[in-house]
Amino acid sequence: MAAVKQTVEHVAALEKYQHGFVTEIEQDFAPKGLNADIVRFISAKKDEPEWMLQWRLEAFERWQAMEEPAWAKVSFPRIDYQDSYYYAAPKTKEGPKSLDEVDPDLLETYKKLGIPLKEQEVLAGVEGAPRYAVDAVFDSVSVVTTFKKELAQAGVIFCSMSEAIREHPELVRKYLGSVVPVSDNYFACLNSAVFSDGSFVYVPPGVRCPMELSTYFRINAENSGQFERTLIIADKGAYVSYLEGCTAPMRDENQLHAAVVELFALDDAEIKYSTVQNWYPGDPETGKGGIYNFVTKRADCRGDRSKVSWTQVETGSAITWKYPSCVLRGNESSGEFYSIAITNGRQQADTGTKMIHLGANTRSRIISKGISAGKSSNTYRGLVSAHPKAKGARNFTQCDSLLIGKQCAAHTVPYIEARNGQAKFEHEATTTRLSEDQLFYVMQRGLSQEEAVQLLVNGFVKDVLQELPMEFAVEAQKLVAISLEGSVG
Amino acid sequence: MNLVAAIAERNAAELPGKRDEDWRWTDLRGLVREAPAPSAPFAGDLPAGRFDALADARKVLVNGGEAVIEIPKGASAVLALRLVGRGPGSHVASAAIRVGANARLTLLETYERDGGTLADATLTIAVAEGAAVERIVLAEDHEDAVSISQAEVTLSPAARFAQTVLASGARRQRLETRVLHPGGKAELRLDGLYLLGDKRHSDQTTVVTHAGAEGLTVQLTKGVVRDQARGVFQGRIVVEEGADRTDAKMGHHGLILSDRAEIDAKPELEIYADDVACAHGNTVGALDDEALFYARQRGIPEDEARALLTEAFVGEVVDRIDHEGAREVVRAWVADRLRA
Repeated sequence: MAAVKQTVEHVAALEKYQHGFVTEIEQDFAPKGLNADIVRFISAKKDEPEWMLQWRLEAFERWQAMEEPAWAKVSFPRIDYQDSYYYAAPKTKEGPKSLDEVDPDLLETYKKLGIPLKEQEVLAGVEGAPRYAVDAVFDSVSVVTTFKKELAQAGVIFCSMSEAIREHPELVRKYLGSVVPVSDNYFACLNSAVFSDGSFVYVPPGVRCPMELSTYFRINAENSGQFERTLIIADKGAYVSYLEGCTAPMRDENQLHAAVVELFALDDAEIKYSTVQNWYPGDPETGKGGIYNFVTKRADCRGDRSKVSWTQVETGSAITWKYPSCVLRGNESSGEFYSIAITNGRQQADTGTKMIHLGANTRSRIISKGISAGKSSNTYRGLVSAHPKAKGARNFTQCDSLLIGKQCAAHTVPYIEARNGQAKFEHEATTTRLSEDQLFYVMQRGLSQEEAVQLLVNGFVKDVLQELPMEFAVEAQKLVAISLEGSVG
Repeated sequence: MNLVAAIAERNAAELPGKRDEDWRWTDLRGLVREAPAPSAPFAGDLPAGRFDALADARKVLVNGGEAVIEIPKGASAVLALRLVGRGPGSHVASAAIRVGANARLTLLETYERDGGTLADATLTIAVAEGAAVERIVLAEDHEDAVSISQAEVTLSPAARFAQTVLASGARRQRLETRVLHPGGKAELRLDGLYLLGDKRHSDQTTVVTHAGAEGLTVQLTKGVVRDQARGVFQGRIVVEEGADRTDAKMGHHGLILSDRAEIDAKPELEIYADDVACAHGNTVGALDDEALFYARQRGIPEDEARALLTEAFVGEVVDRIDHEGAREVVRAWVADRLRA
């Protein structure tokens, strides 16, 4: 009967965006607007050293001289950067020392979102069940990080960015901003000036991180933006798998989420980075509200034989504009990008990847599945380039788009730049709608139209889903179904 | 400002450059610091054109000028059109070609521009219902020319348009074709081939807009680059809302034969209708080692094996040319390039 119950719950869940609630909690805000004083305010709130403040101020100065880019295939009214809060944090007494001190309202929020913050709850499952440590970021601050002790025993540092700046300044200074330079792009530059929190991971040489690490981002406060910064370093021969999830309340205003994620893989290291992005997508009819998800994610495969794998399931956000990329610097390093991007209602997505081959015998693989439904627009944009020194570089790209409905759009814009005679690039793309024959076949076997579409869509995205860690894959599969609800008929 | 105006007004600052998305790999602004003076009128004799013997009508535009060509309803013609640039200087040439209902036209077009020219040609080709046009473009400019061609093709329902662009490159060379495809069982084939050596550059850009239901497009472009040459392919297929049952396929395959050559490609699909089947494939790489090994194992010397494989690679494009005489001229031209 479990299956029936699950189906009932599943159908009930289809009704609407489930994470749209607001948590009533007392919060600390920075004054509205953006200027050098706000940057100082954020830095002071976090008790940052002087070098960090200078770094931020410099970024802010550069940002003021930059112009907002407009090349993506997305349209939105101009963002008023002065009409937003750049810092919002739940009020705490001293900063919680343990979980028991965390505001129960916050714990309740995460419980509602299905994120286990209590270590014993995580452990309460069946023996051998996969465990994962969570860094929970609520608006501008990290509220709690679990399993720190156990991770520390393995030598793994997993903490909030603010803590890392205080406790491990040498690592932060060495790596921060070195793969996404401060002035890399408009939103990354803004982030460098006002970033509030995020996760920091360091896995020492030869260590295989004993559990999955994850961050859960939650936007709660009204009129605020979230600017988190994530930095993951896998030292020689290390391995880490990292998951990222995000949700936000339903609101009529647009909120900006401009994060920067930097990954570093040294010799023989491997990082697996998975994202399930489910920000509030806005009202499907009017297109009002929703998150602008303008994120810069880049990995530096610095070491020889290093490997970075990006997997993303993008179902939320009013606008998604991001390209998780790999700079393949080390010889024989490899990069992978697996993506499912689903747009429905009036969502817009312009997403893809960049694989920059610099080292010899570097390899990359891109599998992108885009699904557009409703009145949405979904663009794959990707770059594969080989430097003259990248002898023997190899890339395979496949991007398929599926259209459901008469008013949606799907675009494929791949760039290929091959600058040497020993690189081999292959790219394939298709755009089609669901096959009538397949639909007919499945419905003839007794499935409703909605179920039939779900089944076929799941088949379409299977290649990517199987790259996700198991517990995420199940969630992602459901999310795919929910996102497409109402798109048929 | 468009390219024609920039050339006419000698305004080098307004030339398209790498900051313009459509010209990112064909930077004119960065190259031409100062627009050359207008080309002087040309009075001398020209050598015979490559396609002269095949044509029953000939038109030559030297250092600019305009041509208006009309093929009446139901008529049939083979036209040789030469766009020539003599001596250094800048100019713009233009041709308007109208093909009447059920008429047939084979358009044999050549670009022969000298070093030191900065030249653009704008062509409009209107193809009426049931008419069939085959356009073969052979661009053999001087290595120091900056040579551009921009064609706007408008098809009517049930028309057929087939094109093969062959290019040997120049300092900067761009052959651009934009097609308005009405659907309605009209058929479009857009092929291309670039064979580049030394420091030559060639850019083949196509934009096909499917505006109506039931359109067919097939595209195949291949390229071979060596030395420090640079080949560029940009192909965009747009399927507008309501252009259902569009069937469009695009292929681009490039062969890089030296370590310092480069190929840049951007095959784009922009789709606003759901009942479509669109696909593109794109590969860039070197000759297949296994095929080379196989050939050598059978006693074929390495150089010859390479030539054989390269010829086979580009042969597919040549074979698709319908007009037999033109196909043979092109085949000989290609063989000359590959052996050079």
